[in-house]
Amino acid sequence: MFRTKIKLKNVFVVYFLVSILGLMYALMQLGQPCDCTQHLKSASELVHVKDKKISQLQAESKSLQSELKKLQDKVTAEETRSQTLPTIYAITPTYARLVQKAELIRLSHTFLHIKNFHWIVVEDSSVKTQLVADLLAESGLKYTHLNVETLKEYKLKENDPSWLKPRGVEQRNLGIQWLRQNRELYDEGVVYFADDDNTYSFKLFDEMRNTKRVSVWPVGLVGGLRFERPLAENGKVVGFYSAWKPNRPFPMDMAGFAVNLQLLLANKDAKFDLKAERGYVESSLLQSLVSIEELEPKADNCTKVLVWHTRTEKPKMKQEDLLQKQGIGSDINIEV
Amino acid sequence: MTSSKKKAKELVLLNVYTMPRRWKVLTTLLIALPWAILLTIWHQHLATHYLTFLKKETDENATNKSVILSITQTKEESLPCISLQANPAVQQYKEKYVYTRPPPWSETLPTIFVITPTYTRSVQKAELTRLANTFLHIQNLHWIIVEDSPRKTNLVAKLLDSSGLSFTHLNIQSPKTIRQGSKAPRGTLQRNQGLQWLRQQYNSNSVEGVVYFADDDNTYSLEVFDELRYTKKVSVWPVAFVGGLRYEAPKLSTTGRVVGWKTVFDPKRPFAVDMAGFAVNIQLILQKPNAIFRLEGVKGGYQETSLLKDLVIMEELEPKAANCTKKSPNTSFLKYVIL
Repeated sequence: MFRTKIKLKNVFVVYFLVSILGLMYALMQLGQPCDCTQHLKSASELVHVKDKKISQLQAESKSLQSELKKLQDKVTAEETRSQTLPTIYAITPTYARLVQKAELIRLSHTFLHIKNFHWIVVEDSSVKTQLVADLLAESGLKYTHLNVETLKEYKLKENDPSWLKPRGVEQRNLGIQWLRQNRELYDEGVVYFADDDNTYSFKLFDEMRNTKRVSVWPVGLVGGLRFERPLAENGKVVGFYSAWKPNRPFPMDMAGFAVNLQLLLANKDAKFDLKAERGYVESSLLQSLVSIEELEPKADNCTKVLVWHTRTEKPKMKQEDLLQKQGIGSDINIEV
Repeated sequence: MTSSKKKAKELVLLNVYTMPRRWKVLTTLLIALPWAILLTIWHQHLATHYLTFLKKETDENATNKSVILSITQTKEESLPCISLQANPAVQQYKEKYVYTRPPPWSETLPTIFVITPTYTRSVQKAELTRLANTFLHIQNLHWIIVEDSPRKTNLVAKLLDSSGLSFTHLNIQSPKTIRQGSKAPRGTLQRNQGLQWLRQQYNSNSVEGVVYFADDDNTYSLEVFDELRYTKKVSVWPVAFVGGLRYEAPKLSTTGRVVGWKTVFDPKRPFAVDMAGFAVNIQLILQKPNAIFRLEGVKGGYQETSLLKDLVIMEELEPKAANCTKKSPNTSFLKYVIL
């Protein structure tokens, strides 16, 4: 019994000693316990830093929110402003030919830059073609698709020069008629006759936007000249610079003027004359709407050219014609 | 003797047994104490680890802060972005974009470098204007205009400045023989000048993009730029109104590889494709600095081949536009006609 007692006591003593030794060893491993205060200090510092950061981020998010609100206000202001901008209606007569799709696509790229724009495309055709319908649907523009076929006696034949008969007259008139049927006298707008082979700078449409009656501006590459233009003094048109048939009542090209929508609607009989002599088509409309004194000169007193009367050459199809004669023409399903 | 020893032993025993409580308490304390101390030490150890971890975290957060600052600095560009974050429908965002000319530059889209040679003539301004009108719809487009002229003209300079596009304006004059001769290939020196500028401006690591040669009298759809943007080497597609046909197109095998050319004019050319019918990844241009358009000894219609043969072989061509069934850009010949 004694031995076991002694053993137990010894065991206790040994255990106590061992645990104390182990503790000392662990202390050595972990470093001085006095560092506690240092750790506490750095901990509190970190907490401070984090707090500071949080408040900074809050301030930033507040300023970003106010920025956001400001920009949102700007956007809604723009929206309301653009909603009150008069709509520009561009009436474009078009007819089926090889380059038709290319021309219309090119036009649509320009028109996509214009706010409050409505494209009225009138095909010279007895039916609305798939090509134009698809093109308009994919363009992203607001549009109206119409069609009317030119009367036979006024149609150009294959090899006629393009100037032999007036082109697009009935189509433009249909466009005007659509506006008369679908717009009211209180609607604000400007009507522009945009042929599909011309080139337009989108700045032109800013100029014509506030037309009160009929506004005019220079047109480049027309009438055998570098440009034709109205001559303006003190904000009024006093004459015209033009070399080809300068004695016309309005010696201008179709691309050189725009008409206020309300003026057009108020004059129910104003339209283009199919029987007008070459070069007098524009005058046939404008005569019934306005006098020279009432014209509004735009584009820096008619000194800047913002539209060009370009024409597109017919592509050479010699090889195509040869292949077609052999019966192996190109795939018709691929639309060009 | 033994009895005293025995008595001593008994006494010790008694001692042990008579003061059991005190001893018990003491022994339990002695057992528990070291463990308690150990535990506290360990807890503190863990705490120090956590503190060092926190310290590391704060360093990372410092970099995040600088990112936030840079975002606020770009707020001018972000009008369309902010309207998106303000939770409108995606449709609304598209309408807003229409009037932003051009769409904001994206850091992730490959750049399309368009090289356009141009020369002075009466329709030049009209052509460049309508080309700019189209390009303003394309994101990440950089227009490299090279004039055929001894000096940069005011007309082109002003047009580029007011367009809003990202551009580079270069010029190099073609020798007289080319300018006056109508059969000589036009724009070769200018296109090479554009390539040279790209090679001087960028090295292989710094840019992701595609090079397209867009003449100023063609018409381009917007889709063609979507198609060519991700060209890996050289991509090809149909072109309308060229070579006397409604369109020319690459001929594809059943597996979708280019095996020939559907043209009438010399279809045996190695690359019977119009200038507007292919695009090259800029890495290829940079990796092969000797690939240029050849002027000397190049037959009519072989311009494109003179460049492409140094860049790629037919098997590597990537057909676009729905396996070359959709025609993308057109070549319209523009001529000024007196009314």
